[in-house]
Amino acid sequence: MAFRLDTLNGITVGIAELNGRLVAENSTILQKTCSDWQQKTPFLVFDCSNLDFIDSSGLGTIVGCLRKALEKNGDIKLAGLNAKVAMVFELTKAKKLFSIFSNAGEAAASFAASPVSSKTQ
Amino acid sequence: MKTLIAIKEQYHTWVHEAFPAMHPLLLPLCNKPFIEYLIDFAILAGSREVRLLSDGQLTEVEEHCGTGSRWGIELSYANLHPADDQQQLLDKNRKFCGGGRTMILTGYNFISYNKQKSYLDLATIATDTPIASCPGGTITLKGPPESGASEKSPLAPFSITPLDSVQSYFRISMETLQTGSSRYVLPGYGSEPDCSIGKNVIISKTAQIRKPVSIGDNVQILPKTIIGPSAIIGSNVVIDNGCSVSGSIIIDNTYIGENLEIDMRIAAGNTLIDPTSGVSLTMEDPHLLVGIKTWATTAILKRKTIHALAATILLVLQFIPFILLFPLLKLQGKWKDDPYMQETGLAGALAVAISLDRFPLLLKVITGKLDIIGSSSRSTCAGKHSYPDSGPLSRLAVFSYAEAEDWPVNGSDAAIVERFHAVHSTPIKDIGMTIKALINRLTKGR
Repeated sequence: MAFRLDTLNGITVGIAELNGRLVAENSTILQKTCSDWQQKTPFLVFDCSNLDFIDSSGLGTIVGCLRKALEKNGDIKLAGLNAKVAMVFELTKAKKLFSIFSNAGEAAASFAASPVSSKTQ
Repeated sequence: MKTLIAIKEQYHTWVHEAFPAMHPLLLPLCNKPFIEYLIDFAILAGSREVRLLSDGQLTEVEEHCGTGSRWGIELSYANLHPADDQQQLLDKNRKFCGGGRTMILTGYNFISYNKQKSYLDLATIATDTPIASCPGGTITLKGPPESGASEKSPLAPFSITPLDSVQSYFRISMETLQTGSSRYVLPGYGSEPDCSIGKNVIISKTAQIRKPVSIGDNVQILPKTIIGPSAIIGSNVVIDNGCSVSGSIIIDNTYIGENLEIDMRIAAGNTLIDPTSGVSLTMEDPHLLVGIKTWATTAILKRKTIHALAATILLVLQFIPFILLFPLLKLQGKWKDDPYMQETGLAGALAVAISLDRFPLLLKVITGKLDIIGSSSRSTCAGKHSYPDSGPLSRLAVFSYAEAEDWPVNGSDAAIVERFHAVHSTPIKDIGMTIKALINRLTKGR
């Protein structure tokens, strides 16, 4: 999981690339790593363009990360979901919790336009 | 007039890929198998003898359709060669056709007809060219026209559409649902238009049904679900609490987990298909989406027998401790009619540790009323879970899978554990899980 920090209009946005499969076996890694990322910035983008599959554990972990971000007045935005991953978000209604963008650049720019999304208010 | 229905495998390979558990000719369109639409059309055209030709296996279709007696026709089956053309089909089935008027339906196509119209004039039309065609096949009349029919009345309109992809399957299913029983003979009952419901359907009082819908047989729709508009629910389906299903098809033998939203999708077992793009997702979480096994009678008998044997062995082992401790606990007032007694005092603790509290329930395993391991009979009876009453997702039992896995028995996570094992268990694995449950109770108490 590659992670980088971008600064846009004075706002530091963390962009994390999720790869492969996010399932029960490895979702705890994301949980721990996300806590480290959130120490650096509460504004995160999960770039899912290389994420092939997600199960309910992975989904639960991402929702857990969002909850922590909201507690810190931050947000997590998703980018580049492929059709299969998007179907899981739609099926479980988790899509309604997140702002979803076609690519990481757009997602990061949206923080600059409105640092605290409407969902966090 | 007689009818030959010739369907080559090359036209429905997509069905094997999208719905591997389904025979293409039995693929349900609005809860009616595809082949029955063709048979209905043949009957409306006046055929009393229909022959089904295929270059694939027809065993399942034969089991489903039989001799055709349910339609009042004679239905027969034969093989064809993938390279056969229409003339070769006629030559190979000359004895069946008998030199008379024969309608030949070729291809894997949906016929759009109207049951309120008459197609009897097809027997009298003098033409050798196809009366309907599409890229996937034709309807052709061969042999001399019959006489005596009402030759002057206009032929009712009909058309054929190729069923060549998930997209066309979804579109045609939804169109059939919209036109409903006014055009086609569809299964199920309904006191109002656009709503047909099959046999043995349980709908919770708090569920909402929004027309048009078609619901198959043996369906459980649990509380706070919203079904429709435009939902086709197949047979042997469980839709769990809080789900919404709209503009979608749920194929037979599918379990839909709690609080899911299915919109513009096809769910078949543990596979979710987007009919627009054709993308399919195979779910790995049995509590979200899973196929319901159609439990054969022999499989159930095997499980019941193995469970009864295990229960007998446990009864023998527990008999002497039960004889010794039961009078003592009864005198102390710690043994209630509820088999789950209080774990107080040395005798009570010992009885619980060696699972004597389940001793009376073991007798019910021998009589086949309970399984030795499955869903917790205590929590289910107390109404703490909203399990379906029966079926592979929930089997009331003496011990629960949650006890074997050492999950809190009444937690919602335990429900997921129990459902997982209920779907994936085998009789032998069940014995192993029962031993685990006994050990857990012995070492950790309840």
